[in-house]
Amino acid sequence: MTLLRRPDPYPLLWRLPLLLWQGAFFVIPLLFMAAMSFWLVRNYRMEPAFVFDNWARMLGRGAFWDAYWITLWRAALAGVIATLVAFPASLVLAFRLSEPARRFALLCLVVPFFTSFLVRAYAWQVILAESGPVNAALGGIGLGPYSMLNSGFGAMVGYLTLVLPLVVIFQTWSLAAIDKSLIEAAGNLGAAPARVLWSVILPAARTGLVLGALFAFIMTFGDFVSPFYLGGSKPPTLTILIIDTTKSGQQWPRAAVVALTMIATLFAVATAALKAAYGRRG
Amino acid sequence: MADPLVQFRAVHKSFGTYVAVKSLDLDIQRGEFLALMGPSGCGKTTTLRMLAGLEAPTSGSITIGGKRMNEVPPHQRDTPLVWQSLALFPFLSVVENVEFGLRMRGVAPKERRDRAMMWLDRMQLKGFETRRIDQLSGGQRQRVALARSLVTEPEMLLLDEPLSALDAHLVIRMQGVLTRLQKELGITFVYVTHSQSEAFAMADRVVIMGQGEIAQIGTPQEIFRGPRSRFVAEFVGRNNILSGMAQGGVLTTAQGAVPVAAGDGAVEIVVAADRTFVSRDRPAGAAIRAAFLSEEFAGTGIICYFETPDGAEWKAQVTESQLAALQPESGQDFWLSWQPGAEHVMGA
Amino acid sequence: MKALGLLGRVYLAALFVFIFAPIAASVVFSFNSDRFPTLPLGSFTTDWYARAFSRPEVWEAIGNSLAVAAVTAVLATFIGFATAYTDFRYGFRFKQAYLALALLPPTLPLVILGLAMLAWLSRIGLSGTLSGIVIAHVVLASPFAMAICRLRLSQMDPALEAAAWNLGSSPWGAMRHVILPFCAPALVSALCLTAAVSFDEFIVAWFVSGLNRTVPVMILEILQGNVDPQINAIGTVVFLTSMSLVIAAQFLIFRRRSNG
Repeated sequence: MTLLRRPDPYPLLWRLPLLLWQGAFFVIPLLFMAAMSFWLVRNYRMEPAFVFDNWARMLGRGAFWDAYWITLWRAALAGVIATLVAFPASLVLAFRLSEPARRFALLCLVVPFFTSFLVRAYAWQVILAESGPVNAALGGIGLGPYSMLNSGFGAMVGYLTLVLPLVVIFQTWSLAAIDKSLIEAAGNLGAAPARVLWSVILPAARTGLVLGALFAFIMTFGDFVSPFYLGGSKPPTLTILIIDTTKSGQQWPRAAVVALTMIATLFAVATAALKAAYGRRG
Repeated sequence: MADPLVQFRAVHKSFGTYVAVKSLDLDIQRGEFLALMGPSGCGKTTTLRMLAGLEAPTSGSITIGGKRMNEVPPHQRDTPLVWQSLALFPFLSVVENVEFGLRMRGVAPKERRDRAMMWLDRMQLKGFETRRIDQLSGGQRQRVALARSLVTEPEMLLLDEPLSALDAHLVIRMQGVLTRLQKELGITFVYVTHSQSEAFAMADRVVIMGQGEIAQIGTPQEIFRGPRSRFVAEFVGRNNILSGMAQGGVLTTAQGAVPVAAGDGAVEIVVAADRTFVSRDRPAGAAIRAAFLSEEFAGTGIICYFETPDGAEWKAQVTESQLAALQPESGQDFWLSWQPGAEHVMGA
Repeated sequence: MKALGLLGRVYLAALFVFIFAPIAASVVFSFNSDRFPTLPLGSFTTDWYARAFSRPEVWEAIGNSLAVAAVTAVLATFIGFATAYTDFRYGFRFKQAYLALALLPPTLPLVILGLAMLAWLSRIGLSGTLSGIVIAHVVLASPFAMAICRLRLSQMDPALEAAAWNLGSSPWGAMRHVILPFCAPALVSALCLTAAVSFDEFIVAWFVSGLNRTVPVMILEILQGNVDPQINAIGTVVFLTSMSLVIAAQFLIFRRRSNG
């Protein structure tokens, strides 16, 4: 655009708010937390230092690694299950509904994403309780009662409630964007529907499928509510560990260690997933 | 000649390594309708944008009314532009769009409303004041855009391919509107287009641009009948180009020898399609042989395409009755000829 | 693909039922007389609402939540708009990094963000205050505002801004007279959505809040006690608030309108 001889304040004034705010209140807190992981805790007080005590103690504990693997496992499982559960629904949304109907359905799906997850978890606690409505209904046909809460199952219900809307949205967006003529051409060349699905649709929708699974993983990995309220918090996940360490133990530096390992893991997984989503085939 | 309104002196514009405009020298006179014409990428739009202040020249100077404008930002210039997309404000009504320029200049509400209404009336849009832009037809939107630009009574109006989105019949009508408007107001119009018919129909002078430079400036007639380079000859009108060595009034070319009114040396001549005659028998005077390829209906006549033995394409314009008399078929040989002096010599 | 038909639609409906079940259940149980809801349902009652909303701490928490949401909405929308405009209009070195910074916060687990905010805000003395919560929520919500505003800007003819300059408006004037009016629906939409994000957010608020509790934090503390249908009542009100805001936001940004 126009060049002016003196430096123009206009563009800078629009560029700065983000830099200032996120710099001061996002970047710096995270950097500070990273630095804090090297501090000392003496007599329940923190002191600036540069020692590896916190790292050694935390990473040396069996309990930490138990929490790490269970969190990783559950997140991976949730990613896979969410992708599989969402897929048939996404197929219907992308290929069976008209454009306005699809748009309406997706807008509906966005709504729960912005409602309180905590309250929804509580609602599941009530619904899935041993004396709750689900067990009552199952009892009516002679089944149960089942103890669904305080277990991996309960936690998974929570995870799915959290991530399914987003996974469906990603998948549907990706599937709906496929050039319909590709599918018609495949059918025209003699491919059965199942074959078309495997060889044409899945590869073309790869980006949406991988991104959906990635976000399901990230959100589950970092979720606190599901494992705590629906999963019985045993064994504890990394998120529960952070909260315990912070709230009751006041061991902020150690909590920081856990947080940093989480960030590192997420970064590694995200990088690998993005490559898989956007990388070139063969 | 009175002082030119606009002067470009050695104006050069590059975007990184890409050179859009090379060393442009151009005077624009007060009250003239000037067209900047050329193929895509020739620099015509960049030149217009520099005049409006939306781009700054990399070097050289632009003066308007004697005042150097290089450092003047667009909002301090009086160079209203009619945009290709029209750029009408969708959140304002028609009259609010038209009075926008006056509002920015701090004109009082009553006065600016009155002036805007007067212009709407002039553009035959009376009764449309409170409409929204999307409720108007293409032609109506054009007129709102014009009114919006002219309400501030500028000395100069810039137009960036404003008719390119219109249907053909509307283009013809709008051309008339623009020409009449310019004559009535007596202000300078600088009009960018890639369409020959628009430029030649409306402009007093046409500037043909190619690859960032001016290829030729002149009246439509001068350019149409007297292209000065192969580029212009190929871009404007329907022309046939013949090149070769001239000696003693005879031009020896790959298509044969023809009489020519030119001095000795390497020469290129241009024979317009509407000055080319087609016949089965060899006529007297300048003529070459070519095989008939196809014909094309062009409204005012029929264009016949031929190919010479060495592969050059020639065009000739004939009437329907001439075509009926000739009954050409693909591959048949004909003689293409022209009157002495009908050719235009382009120089070496 | 043909096998999808009826079975597919039933499956889709079942998925929607699963996703909306907790919300629907919350509403239904909030009017249900049973303390431990089961089938068949008990009688209709508004008792839980009466009890929940007669508690002063509930009103205080609601007040805090609304105040935090309102301030967050304004700040986050401002930052989001500024960022979207910068992306729309300018190219510059490190623009990729700039955009990454803008869009990163929602990808980070809230527990980590909560911890980092707690540590830093304590350091600068803002921990335990509502301002601290506002600060953290603005970080979280501004990406959403940015996305909405960016979407709206992409619908704008880029020549509109230049047309404003051409007609005598300075860059600031163009912003005021052209860009902001054009973006108005997106701005209101962003205000609604960022308010919803703040209103529901509890983890970071919990870390940072100390004594000034927002509604979700208060719910959490009640929950840690025992099962109490008053939470359904409060929860239903929370849902209605968020859902209204989100639906309003969607309506504003996706309404069929002319773009000139």
